[in-house]
Amino acid sequence: MFLFANATIYIGLAIAIYSLLIITLGISTKNQKFINSGKGGLIALFVCAALAMLSLFYLLATSQFQYEYVHDYTSSELPIIYKLTALWAGNAGSLLLWTFFLTLYMVMIVFSRKMKGNPMVPYISAILLANAVFFFFILGFVAKPFLLLDTVPIEGKGLNPMLQNPGMIIHPVTLYLGYVGLAIPFAFAMAALILKNVDDFWIKATRRWTIIAWLFLSLGNIFGGQWAYVELGWGGYWAWDPVENASFMPWLTATAFLHSVMIQERKNMLKIWNISLIIVSYALTLFGTFLVRSGVLTSVHAFANSNLGLYFLIFMAVAVILALYVLMSRYNMLKRSAGEFQSFVSKESSFLVNNLLLVGAAFAVFWGTIFPLVSEAVRGTKVTVGLPFFNKVEAPILLSMMFVMAVCPMLAWQRSTVKNLKKNFTIPAILAVLGMILMVKLGIQKAWAVIGYGVIILLLITHYLEFYRGVKARRKMTKETPFVALYRLMIRNRRRYGGYIVHLGIAFITMGIIGSQNYDLETMKTVDLGQSIEIKDYRLNYERLDQKREGINDIVYADITVFKNGKKLGSFQPEKVFYGNWEQPSSEVAIISSLKEDLYIVLSAWEDDGRATFVVKVNPMMNWLWFGSFMIVIGALFAVWNGKYGNVTPRYTGVRREVS
Amino acid sequence: MKNKIYIGLLLIAVIFQGSIFQVEARQINYKSAEFKAVASQFACTCGCGQDHYECDPNTCNLTTEFKKDLVEMMNKGWDKDKIRKYYVNIYGEEILTSPEKSGFSLMAWVLPFVVLGAAAAALFFIIRKWVKKKGAEEVVVTEYDNTEEEVEGEILSSMIDEERKKYL
Repeated sequence: MFLFANATIYIGLAIAIYSLLIITLGISTKNQKFINSGKGGLIALFVCAALAMLSLFYLLATSQFQYEYVHDYTSSELPIIYKLTALWAGNAGSLLLWTFFLTLYMVMIVFSRKMKGNPMVPYISAILLANAVFFFFILGFVAKPFLLLDTVPIEGKGLNPMLQNPGMIIHPVTLYLGYVGLAIPFAFAMAALILKNVDDFWIKATRRWTIIAWLFLSLGNIFGGQWAYVELGWGGYWAWDPVENASFMPWLTATAFLHSVMIQERKNMLKIWNISLIIVSYALTLFGTFLVRSGVLTSVHAFANSNLGLYFLIFMAVAVILALYVLMSRYNMLKRSAGEFQSFVSKESSFLVNNLLLVGAAFAVFWGTIFPLVSEAVRGTKVTVGLPFFNKVEAPILLSMMFVMAVCPMLAWQRSTVKNLKKNFTIPAILAVLGMILMVKLGIQKAWAVIGYGVIILLLITHYLEFYRGVKARRKMTKETPFVALYRLMIRNRRRYGGYIVHLGIAFITMGIIGSQNYDLETMKTVDLGQSIEIKDYRLNYERLDQKREGINDIVYADITVFKNGKKLGSFQPEKVFYGNWEQPSSEVAIISSLKEDLYIVLSAWEDDGRATFVVKVNPMMNWLWFGSFMIVIGALFAVWNGKYGNVTPRYTGVRREVS
Repeated sequence: MKNKIYIGLLLIAVIFQGSIFQVEARQINYKSAEFKAVASQFACTCGCGQDHYECDPNTCNLTTEFKKDLVEMMNKGWDKDKIRKYYVNIYGEEILTSPEKSGFSLMAWVLPFVVLGAAAAALFFIIRKWVKKKGAEEVVVTEYDNTEEEVEGEILSSMIDEERKKYL
């Protein structure tokens, strides 16, 4: 098994190098046979990565502790699902997963029906293969997943209990799918540039890939936040930790990219900008990995410190320099085809403002993340840049972004006249202002909350009007019933309406964030048995403290009966778990969730006489956050769904070559 | 057996800590807004990545002591700025959860907005250039008076397209 497993990695590396060389040779000598050989290599590479994954799954599942990775991240009593998912608990395994996704994507692209006979394929393959060579090299020489220990331990170290949560099963997988996914549009962009194709074929061909990568990146962040909320007993979901920032930055730039490509498709403009955005997004995925694996910044997420980060930094630098070189060498061609704008106030301009704010937000996150390093380098003083900084700096930028999002759907392409601005915005603006006044009257008086909710009201109205007008226009011509008209309108323009659903999802998430950040309540109380804690409308009766044993873990738990306005909601058990094979105990919180708010109960400490200390939080509108996340998934899936309409394979009109 | 002893020790540690902050908690609730304003300024250096308001005293000895000291100072009548100064003098700026708004650290706060402002100005000039350019050479575009007509136009053209595909 040892030989087989290692063979998959080293043969993989050899095949990746071979395929890269043979495809490059094929391109330069215009020999289709070489290209076909390289394409065959891609399949072999995928098989190697898949077999390596299967081998590690097998070793993990059968608890073969003689392997360092199995010993470090699992133990024999671990449930099988966590034994398997320990594959991405450590450095080597998670990079193997990354490599597997990369080879999977490669095969899907190169052998897709739409790309058959396309002269870009060899170039795309070569660019992705360069990535694959890097990853197989790392697996073969830096972070080896199949290292044997000198002795055979009887038991493994076990998996960090914090990672034993369904959220953690899926969070890394979605995040990696998003990270790797961004390599696809990057490869297409580079291939188009190398071939001197300056049209928007690469954008149209990768549109779905970009949305899918974006969706996975969003999901990765959301699952991470959800995990933090239920598992860490801290009551929050986003801490602006360097690693969270590392995955938020490419999300912001990819979002900007998804919007700005529409200008290129429509107006044949912003070509250089779009390519720059995709280079930056791709580079940021590597930068994120560098941050997580290098230990250069203190982070709760950090993997064991190693020199792995350095390799990523070098790879990122090489990739960015090469990409910029290609971009510069084609600069004149791209510049030549610039178009023009009709007016200052138009949908096009609003997309540019959207890009400005999204990239600005990404820059602010980047700057805050690296500022400790800058400060240390410049004046030798370390500083910490934490949550208060990011909240203060990002809030105005992202709120402005929400405003642009609210206004944009109502602006016309080309030109918006004062007349139609008045017509489109008078009612939504009045309603939004009325809503804000009503909020102040009802006692919501924090400025951020009032402005934020006001903007969201505007957003909801403009989006509603957008659907309403579409349905009205359709019905005028087809005389369909409203629902049929709505359905047909949406499925005939999936990208637009999918996008609007995503906007609504973002609006719900923002409502959740504003509510939970501004109106949370918290208390910490020590109470005797039978006594109660009161917070807001809730009364928590502390009934019992007991201990139980589950497997090798000891669990101390409290029975608490919760009443709201005198009405019983039920009995709940916040727990403290002491692990048999892990130093730190962890809190299993009790969450009583409703549309309005979450009651979040943590058992903090206790004494011999039964007195116990609880931390109790009321987090408003948490469910809105999760609901908004769900809408993002629905919207993104709706946009990429392979429907009957508007599903035209983009026609390749670029440079022809003998090889494809 | 070793595990059991270990769990026992941990339990004792937890209980012991509980009784320590218990005495102080009577005066100032560690989860009160008043305490939050003071404690959330300081980063816990135990590696938890949280501030001293969030950091759990049951898993971190460091924050237990720190919280005690904070409460002592608050009882002495020190306000949050005085406490902040006191700690910055001892540990330097690193102890704060966000950089100071003075000296070099001001850069952290200002630069994002300076860059954003500069980029906005650049964007303004670029759009102006594009709009002007358009004035010189008129391009043929379909003008819509408002979005409603635009939507109708789009729907109509997509329907024509559909029909065309059906019959041609």
